Amino acid sequence: MSAANPLAERQQAFMRAIQEEGAPLPAGWGNSQAAGLRIYRGNYRHALMGVLAHGFERTAAYVGAEAFHQVSINHAIAHPPSHWTIDSAANGFAETCAGFFRENPEVAELAWLEGAMLDLVGAPDCEPLDAARFAEASAGFGDAEWMELTLTMMPRAAALIVGHDLERLWRSIDGGGEIDLAPARLGCIAWREGDRPTFVMVEEQCALAFAAMGQGASYGDLVVQIAGEGADEAALGEAAMRAGSFLGQWLQHALVSAIGREASPGNGDGQEPND
Amino acid sequence: MVRSQPLDPALDPALDPAQRQASLQGTIAPFAGFGLGLRREHHNDFLAPAAAIPVDFVEVISENFMVEGGRSLRVLEAVRERLPVIVHGVSMSIGSAAGLDRTYLGALKALVDRIEPLWVSDHLCWTRTSAHNSHDLLPLPLTAEALDVVCDNIDRAQETLGRAMLFENPSSYLTFPEDEMAEWEFLGEMVRRTGCFLLLDVNNIFVSSQNHGFDPSDYLAGLPLSEVRQIHLAGHEPATGERPIIIDTHDRPVIDAVWALYRKAMAMIEQPVATMIERDENIPPLPELLAELERARAGMHSANAPQPA
Repeated sequence: MSAANPLAERQQAFMRAIQEEGAPLPAGWGNSQAAGLRIYRGNYRHALMGVLAHGFERTAAYVGAEAFHQVSINHAIAHPPSHWTIDSAANGFAETCAGFFRENPEVAELAWLEGAMLDLVGAPDCEPLDAARFAEASAGFGDAEWMELTLTMMPRAAALIVGHDLERLWRSIDGGGEIDLAPARLGCIAWREGDRPTFVMVEEQCALAFAAMGQGASYGDLVVQIAGEGADEAALGEAAMRAGSFLGQWLQHALVSAIGREASPGNGDGQEPND
Repeated sequence: MVRSQPLDPALDPALDPAQRQASLQGTIAPFAGFGLGLRREHHNDFLAPAAAIPVDFVEVISENFMVEGGRSLRVLEAVRERLPVIVHGVSMSIGSAAGLDRTYLGALKALVDRIEPLWVSDHLCWTRTSAHNSHDLLPLPLTAEALDVVCDNIDRAQETLGRAMLFENPSSYLTFPEDEMAEWEFLGEMVRRTGCFLLLDVNNIFVSSQNHGFDPSDYLAGLPLSEVRQIHLAGHEPATGERPIIIDTHDRPVIDAVWALYRKAMAMIEQPVATMIERDENIPPLPELLAELERARAGMHSANAPQPA
C-alpha cells in the first residue's frame, strides 16, 4: 500500500473485489468483510443487469432468459461502468451481443436499435422542421444554395445499416407469435418523436445519406456520393432526384430540425440554421 | 493530508458551524412536512388536473433528471409548479478519493438552477474510482483520512452549487479494520467542518445497528441533531439463517422497530423537519404509500405530545 493516497488504493481494491469474483480481498479484510462484500457485489450485478433487462426487453425476449442472462454477465465483466449515469452501463451492449451471438447477427442489430432508443429518452427537446416550413425557408434557393444546403437532424437521431427488417422482427416479438425474421439489407433510423423514441426502416442508401448529412455533409456532397465520383450530367441529375426523395422522407418523418449552409469562402461561416 | 485552500470565507474551517452556514449562500431553513419520492409509477397521479395529493413535498433522484430533455423533465417541472421538490442524489460520490466528477457537478447545478429545489442531498458514501463506477453506495472507512477527503469534496460541491447540502447517513454491510471513530462521530465532525446539514435515514440507522451491533440510541445521541433537516423512512430485507446481514432494499413497508426509532428521533429533534417514505422497488399504488405516510404524521405527533411528569 503506497503512502501517497492509501484511501484511493483501498477504494480501487474494493471496486475490483466487487467487479471480479476471484479478485483478492483488500488488505486486512477477514470473514466479516467478505460477507459484506458479497452483498455489495450482488447489488452491483443487480444494478447492471437491471439496466440491461429494462433497456433491452425485446432482445431478451428474442434470445430467451438464460442466453440474455449470460450475455449480460459477459457485458458487465467486459464493460464495467465508468460513468455516473447508470444507463451508460448499456453502452457497447450491441457489440457484446455481436460477439456472443455470432451466428445470429440480428441479435446485435436489435440490441443496437434498443440501445439507440434508450439513448433518445433524455435527448434534448427539439421541434422538427415540417415540409411547409422547409418549403418556405428554401423557396428562394438557386442551384448554388441547394448544393450548399446542410441539415441539422433531430438530436441523437442515429442510423445503422442492418441485414434484417427490424420493424417486422420488432412487431413479431411484441405480438408474441411466430418470429418474423426477414433478411434484407436495409437502413434503420431511430429518433425521438415528441416524447416517444421510434424508428423507421429505409433503403440502405437513404440511411447512409442520413448519417452523412447528420455529420455535416452538404446536399451537394450527397448528390455526388449517390452518383459516384466522375458521374456524368445525367447521373448527377438522377442522383439529385434520389437525394430529393430522401430529403422528402426525412421531412415526412420529422427527422430534420433546421437547415443551414455549408461553410465556403462566399457565404461566411456557414452552418447558420435559418429555422 | 493538506486541505485545499478554501476559495470562499464560508468554507473556512476556522469558523464555527453556525458562522459557516450563515455565510454559505442558500443556508437551509427548517421545513416541516411529509412527502414521498416521485417515482415513474406515480407520475400520472401527480399530473392529474385535479390532483390534490396530501403531501407537502416530493423528492426526486437527481440523476434521473440530469438529462437534456424528454418527458421526465417536463413532469418534474409540472410537479414543481405545485409542490416543493427535494433533489436527492446517489452518484456524487462524496467519499471518493478520486475527487468529484466535474461533469456530474455541472449537470447537477443545471438541474438545481432549473428546478430550484428546497434542498439538495446525497449520501455519505463513495461510488466511483478514477476508472469505474459501482452504482451502489459503498461504505467509507471511518478514519481521519476519509474525513478529510469527504470534507474537501463537500466544500467543492457546496461551492459549485452555491448552497449548503444535506448528507444522508448510510446503511452498510461491513466495517473496516482501520476504523478510528463511530459513524455518528464522523458525521458530527463532517457537519462541523463543512457547514452541511444532515438527512437522517432512520431505517439506515436500524439496518447498520443490526449489522454491526451498536445501539441506535447511542447513534442518535451522538449526532448534532440540530442540523437535521430531513428524515427518510424505508423498509428493508431481514436477515436469514444463511445471511445474517440486513439489506436496505426500499422494497416493502417500514417495520415497527423503525417506526419506534423514528418516534424516538422525533422526540429528540427540536426543530421542524421534512419526513418522507422511500420506496424504490415493488412500488405500490399511491394510496398505499399515502397511508404509510399518514403513520409518519401520527408518529411525529405522538413523539411530540406532552409527556406526564
